[in-house]
Amino acid sequence: MGHLITNYYETGAIILFGVGFVTLLAHGNLIKKIIGMNIMDTAVFLFFIAKGYISGSEAPIIRSVKSATGYINPVPTALMLTGIVVAVSITAFALALTIRVYEKYGTVDLNEIIKMGGE
Amino acid sequence: MYNSYPLIIILVLFISAFAIPLFKSIKMARIIGISAAGISLVLSILTLIGVKANGAYYFRVGHFDAPWGIEFHIGIIEGLMGVLFMTVSMAVLWFSIYSIDHDLSKKKVPLFYTLVNLLVGSLLGIVFSDDLFNCFVFIEISSIASCGIVVVKDKKENIKAALKYLILSSLGSGLVLMGIALVYSLTGHLNMAHIHEALVSIYPEHSRNMLIAIGLFTVGLGVKSAMFPLHTWLPDAHTYAPASSSALLSALVLKAYVILYIKIIHRVFGMSIVGDLPVLNIVLLLGAVGMIAGSVLAILQKNLKRMVAYSSVAQMGYVFFGIGLGTTMGLAAAIFQIFNHAFTKSALFLSAGSILEKTGKKNISDLKGIGKEMPFTMAIFTIGGMSLVGIPLLSGFNSKWNFAVAVIEAHRVELLAVVLISSLLNALYYFPVIINGYFGEESLEGKVYRNTERPLKELLPIIVLVLGVIYFGVSGGGLLSLIEAGIPALN
Repeated sequence: MGHLITNYYETGAIILFGVGFVTLLAHGNLIKKIIGMNIMDTAVFLFFIAKGYISGSEAPIIRSVKSATGYINPVPTALMLTGIVVAVSITAFALALTIRVYEKYGTVDLNEIIKMGGE
Repeated sequence: MYNSYPLIIILVLFISAFAIPLFKSIKMARIIGISAAGISLVLSILTLIGVKANGAYYFRVGHFDAPWGIEFHIGIIEGLMGVLFMTVSMAVLWFSIYSIDHDLSKKKVPLFYTLVNLLVGSLLGIVFSDDLFNCFVFIEISSIASCGIVVVKDKKENIKAALKYLILSSLGSGLVLMGIALVYSLTGHLNMAHIHEALVSIYPEHSRNMLIAIGLFTVGLGVKSAMFPLHTWLPDAHTYAPASSSALLSALVLKAYVILYIKIIHRVFGMSIVGDLPVLNIVLLLGAVGMIAGSVLAILQKNLKRMVAYSSVAQMGYVFFGIGLGTTMGLAAAIFQIFNHAFTKSALFLSAGSILEKTGKKNISDLKGIGKEMPFTMAIFTIGGMSLVGIPLLSGFNSKWNFAVAVIEAHRVELLAVVLISSLLNALYYFPVIINGYFGEESLEGKVYRNTERPLKELLPIIVLVLGVIYFGVSGGGLLSLIEAGIPALN
C-alpha cells in the first residue's frame, strides 16, 4: 500500500488509464469512446512525464552551465510532445468519421448502428 | 553501398505520398505512386542481396550513436520482409489501375494512392526500426492510413467499419505505448539492443514489471494483428473495403505488427526472459484456438469476401502458433507462413473482389456456375484456396509441413492435431465455393462461357501473386533456409 502512496503519479496514471480503457470499451456512444481514448492517452503521457521528473531539478533550459544532475530528464517530455501530436491527429480523424457516421446513420450510438446492420 | 537503402525506401514512399495530391490528376497519381513503389522494390531487393552477402547491420539515422539517435536494424528477415511488402504492394497497385475506379469516385482515386504509399512506408518503418518509440509513431501512421484505405470508398458500411477499426486499433496502440512506458521506466532506453542489455541485468528483481509490459505488448499488437479473440474489427474492415485495400490490409498490415511482436520478444526481451514467463504459452493457446475458431466462423459466413476475411483470422492463428512454440523452427515456420499468407490471401482477395465487381454478387450461394462465366479468375481463386487448404506443390502445404516439423521438434506432438484439424476445416469452406463454381449441371445451365471475365491483361497482377504461391510451393526450401539463416540476427 505504501508504494502506491509514495508513487502517487504512477498510481494516478494507471487509474486514469483504467478509466479511459473502460470508457473506450464499455460505452456505445462514439463521442464517449473518443473521450475514453483521450483519457487513456493522457494517462500514458502523465506516466511518462512523471518518469522523467527528478524532484528538485529544473526544466532543461540551459542558461548558465550546471552539472547534468541539475536538470530533469528531457527525453520523456520530448517523446510525449510527439505522443500528443499523434493523439490529436487520431482524435481528429475519429471525430471526422463520427460526423460521417451521424450523417449516414442518424445516430452516434455504436450499438444502435450495429443493430441496424444492413448489408 | 546498400546501407542507406532502407531509409531511402521509406523516404521515397513518404515523399511520393505527399507529392501525389499536388497534381490532382489520376494519371499522375498512378505514375508517381507506382514508380515510387517500383524504386522501393528495386532498392529492397538490393538491400536483401547485400544483407545476404554481408550479414545484418545497424544504420544510424542522422548519424548519432545508438542510445541518443535512432537506429535501423536490417538483417535477412527485415530484408525479406522489405521485398515481400514491396512485391505484394506493387502487384496490388498494378491491379488497382483496372479496378479502383469501380469503387471510388474520381476525386478519391489520387487519395487512394497517397494512402497506400503512406501505409506501405510506415509498415516498412515498423519492420526496419530498432527504436521502440519510433515504431510507435509508425504504428500510428499506419493505423490512420489503413483506416483511410477502408473509408476511401464512401459507403455507409465502410465508415462504420473504419470507425470500429480505428477505435480498436487506437486501443491497441494505447496499450503498446503503455508497454513502452513501462520498459522505458525500467531501463531508461528506447533502443531495442540497449533495452535488452539493461533488462537482462535487472531481470530477476523486476520480473513482474516485465510480465506486465510484455502482456501489454501482446494484447496491443494482438488487437492490431487480429490474434483470435481480439479480431472483431477485422471482418467488417476487410469485407467492405475496396478489393485492392482488402488485399493490402490482410497481406501486409497484419504482418508488420507481427514482425514487431517477434522483434519485441526476441530482440527486446530475449528468449532468456520470455522463456521464464508464461506469455508464449498463452500466445500458443490463442494461436491454436484462432486456427480452429477462425475456420469455424468462416464456414458460417454467407458473404464470399467475409469468408475470406475470417480465413485471415485462422491464418494469423498459425503465425501466433509458430511464435508461441518458442523454438527456432517454430519462428521460421511462422515467418514462412507470413510469406505464404501474404501472397495467397492477396490473390484471394483480388479474385474475390473481381468476382464481386463483375457480377455484383457477394453471397456464396449466388456464385454457382461462376467458374464458367469467369474461368480464369475462378482458377486463381481455386489455387489460392487450395494453397490455404494445404494441397502439395502450393505454398500452403510447405507452410503446414513446417509447422508439423516444428511441433514434432518441440516434442509437442499433440499439437499436430490442431494443425490437421485446421487444414480440414479450411477445406470445408474453400471447396464448396470451388466445386459449386465449376461443377453441377443445373448451376452451369444458362451461363455463357467467359461472360463476365476480365481481360487477361487485367488479371496479370493476380497471376504474378499466384506464381509466387506456386514458386514457394515447389521450392519452399530455399526461402525456409534463408529465414533460418536470418533468425540468429534477430536475437
